[in-house]
Amino acid sequence: MEIQYIGENLLPGKLGQFFIIFSFCSALLATIAYYFATTTALSKDQSERASSGGWNRIARIAFRLNTLAVIGIGSCLYYIIYNHLFEYHYAWAHSSKILPVYYIISSFWEGQEGSFWLWMFWQAFLGTIILSKGKTWENSVMTTIMLSQAFIASMLVGVEIFGLRIGSSPFILLRDAVPGPIFGRGDYLNMITDGNGLNPLLQNYWMVIHPPTLFLGFASMIVPFAYAIGGLWEKRYSEWITPALPWTLFAVMILGTGIIMGSFWAYEALNFGGFWAWDPVENASIIPWMTLIAAVHVLIAHKNSGHSYFTATFLVLISFVLVLYASFLTRSGILGETSVHAFTDLGMFWHLVLYVVAFLFIAVLFLVIRWKELPITKKDEETYSREFWLFIGALVLSIACVQILASTSVPVFNAIFGTEIAPPPDVVAHYNKWQVPFAVVIAFISAFSQFLKYKKTDPKKFFVSISITLLVSVFITAGAVYFMNIYTNVMYIILTYASVFSILANAKILTEAFKGKWRLAGSAVAHIGFALLLVGALVAAATNKVISINNTGIGFGDEFAKSNNPRENIILYKDEPTRMDRYTVTYLGDSTQGVNTYYRINYKVIDENNGEVKENFTLYPNAQQNAKMRQIIASPDTRHYLFHDVYTHVSSVPLKEEDHEDHEGHSEDEKYEKPATYEVNVGDTVRFREGYILVKGINRDAKIQNIPLGERDIAIGLKLDVVSDGKVFQSEPIYLLKDGSKFDFGKVLDEKGLKLRFSNVYPDKDKLELMVYQKPKAEKDWVVLKAIEFPYINLFWGGTIIMVIGFILSIFRRNKEIKTA
Amino acid sequence: MKKSSIAGIIIIAFAIGIIISTYADSSTYGSFADAIESSSDLHVVGQLNKEKELFYKPHQDANYFAFYMKDNDGKECRVVFNGSKPQDFERSEQIVLTGKMVGNEFHASKILMKCPSKYTTDQVEVREVTAKSAKT
Repeated sequence: MEIQYIGENLLPGKLGQFFIIFSFCSALLATIAYYFATTTALSKDQSERASSGGWNRIARIAFRLNTLAVIGIGSCLYYIIYNHLFEYHYAWAHSSKILPVYYIISSFWEGQEGSFWLWMFWQAFLGTIILSKGKTWENSVMTTIMLSQAFIASMLVGVEIFGLRIGSSPFILLRDAVPGPIFGRGDYLNMITDGNGLNPLLQNYWMVIHPPTLFLGFASMIVPFAYAIGGLWEKRYSEWITPALPWTLFAVMILGTGIIMGSFWAYEALNFGGFWAWDPVENASIIPWMTLIAAVHVLIAHKNSGHSYFTATFLVLISFVLVLYASFLTRSGILGETSVHAFTDLGMFWHLVLYVVAFLFIAVLFLVIRWKELPITKKDEETYSREFWLFIGALVLSIACVQILASTSVPVFNAIFGTEIAPPPDVVAHYNKWQVPFAVVIAFISAFSQFLKYKKTDPKKFFVSISITLLVSVFITAGAVYFMNIYTNVMYIILTYASVFSILANAKILTEAFKGKWRLAGSAVAHIGFALLLVGALVAAATNKVISINNTGIGFGDEFAKSNNPRENIILYKDEPTRMDRYTVTYLGDSTQGVNTYYRINYKVIDENNGEVKENFTLYPNAQQNAKMRQIIASPDTRHYLFHDVYTHVSSVPLKEEDHEDHEGHSEDEKYEKPATYEVNVGDTVRFREGYILVKGINRDAKIQNIPLGERDIAIGLKLDVVSDGKVFQSEPIYLLKDGSKFDFGKVLDEKGLKLRFSNVYPDKDKLELMVYQKPKAEKDWVVLKAIEFPYINLFWGGTIIMVIGFILSIFRRNKEIKTA
Repeated sequence: MKKSSIAGIIIIAFAIGIIISTYADSSTYGSFADAIESSSDLHVVGQLNKEKELFYKPHQDANYFAFYMKDNDGKECRVVFNGSKPQDFERSEQIVLTGKMVGNEFHASKILMKCPSKYTTDQVEVREVTAKSAKT
């Protein structure tokens, strides 16, 4: 019997699914039409050439329709998520009702399907620009772009053909995606009250803008690829470089920004304690970035000297293939055990492989077919020429890339050859060992090649002009390594020297730019930014210091004590100041907002001589508690200074119980330690663990709520001042004599974990009995936290920003060259 | 021969060298039995023994976490980790440890776990709302 489902809103899904199919078909049509528009224009036959215009018109219409379809898919999906239509798996899996609107945008691309859509959207956007600015390049360039568009659309189709499911649709219904007995009921929707919600780590404002930036970077890398293919296809071998150059710079700039945004997100929102972890997912995005950076340099070299044509073309082509390889790595589930960040497999393994192989095949095919005609110079480069060193620099970058690629691809290697190679025990050290020397070489080349001219430079002049900079760099480096505390490691000193040299050399170029050679400004600024980024990354990574060192662990045997690993977590009890490096740190309490619990951690730097507070700030690292699953998800908080950051996250906290109600049969007093009983008088003080209690006086006129006092009843309040940590709390426990029986009403002081009872009066001794209950120390609130000081990390972020400014300047310059050319 | 060609050849040779040494740098997967034999760090894959106690008492030492893990051969071993208990540890389905044997304990320098995360598995959490609304 067919079940009648109640309350489902199926229209947006059906519409969305239609748009997906439509976008796939229109992309395919546009590819074919652009293909024929290109080939007919190349034809020798007059009438065929005339038909090119017709093909172009069809292609343009198909492209416009494709753009509309892509927008349609996005609108339908947004509508579903925004309106919490949990009958759709995507909305159920990635969002929830309590999610604020701006995070609904993040949940849009939390899943693979949404991020594929984002990629399609950007490709459509880039295509629109090509249509208006591409001129003679439109047909060939758009053929490649629309082929890629068709590939991505096919990933979203989610239709079964011959028992094979092609792609994964974001519009699949929950009852089709997940098996469950509740779907046997027509009214199952009433029982699904909320979605799974967005991964809390992604609930960060950087996650709203990082994915779109990154995907714009990935998507725009197809443009130089398409130009290079177009150049080979239409035999306009060197011509394509001029229009492709601003695009290449654009892709490099956006992808670089996207990567660093991700790095900043990791630093601000994740608790792995750093800004770069050499995680396979991070590596996958930086590999194509590095090859395209290399490509930019040889493209410029070729443009100015005619050398390195093959290298330039090859690097541009391989960069996009590596983008596809990166998406294969992160989306196919192959990284499995080596990365915690990768997507899980959606059954698209071979589909993704096909995507990579198809574009690799196209690249190789065109290179092979046109090999004999490629404008490869037979002439040897001059050693003292800029083009030679641009070429060498690009090669070094490529080699650095090969290393990252080889290490990241270990799981792929295992899958192909059936081996079981594990990643290196210390991943970060493994990568740094290789990448630091490469960075040194690259920084040096980026410095001195600025003083070389194209074609030929007089070696004498060259050495004179760099020698002063080299010498000045020695002194600055000496000062810098001393102040930044990295003089113990030779490699660090060399890298600092190379970077300082690069900054100075490029600064010199920049001053010339101000004198009128403005065209040089872009590269000088970008290189200064890059060198600053290197120093910042080096210093922050090499000298970051865990300040929450704790060596008070007890009683775990000699075996444990032998291992000299620093003990990086420290326990803080509420209101007990603890010394941590130069800080006096106090856990002040917590507050809960929505799903997050914020822990108030106060940091003070106190001058030891005069007790003056020199620094005072409070950090709010948070954790999402999930009492049901008995887990926490912690996010750090960071105090930013100009020259260092103090980074803190909780590593363990007491789990809040779901209900605070006392169970029957348990008296409240069980929560306290055995009480201490004192016989006191007015003016006496009684000590407790964190302070003292002062007996101020007696209130003979005490009143107790809901208990009317008879004539002979006596109620006395004991006025107490509880002094702790410089603060005074008032409390007044009450003693009651009613109808000849003794009662007392204790007062609880939660902030101090105290309960005070005025339990008896001894008129004969003239004493009053005070009972002090104190919560055991362990019951007090505590947090285990880890704190790290990152020195000079702003050089890293600042360098990035300067580098991006350099790219923007270069884009303007290269874009102008298209118009003048 | 052109200078750039020579440079290219050197670079390719260098690249091959790097790839080989990258694989030489890598570690191996093994069992606790392998770890007893070996003196260098290796990766051990296994499951947490959920019946035995997880030892993490931050009041005594915030950097000492011990538990029992069964490797894929079924051999059980006490594992000591110098740090705080990873979030979500109890629910892990699979653990990959990096470290070595010290005495008869395995000292892990890194723990990687696979969890049936709320955000990756498809388990419909159903709340009976109907019953509740009937009451009110």
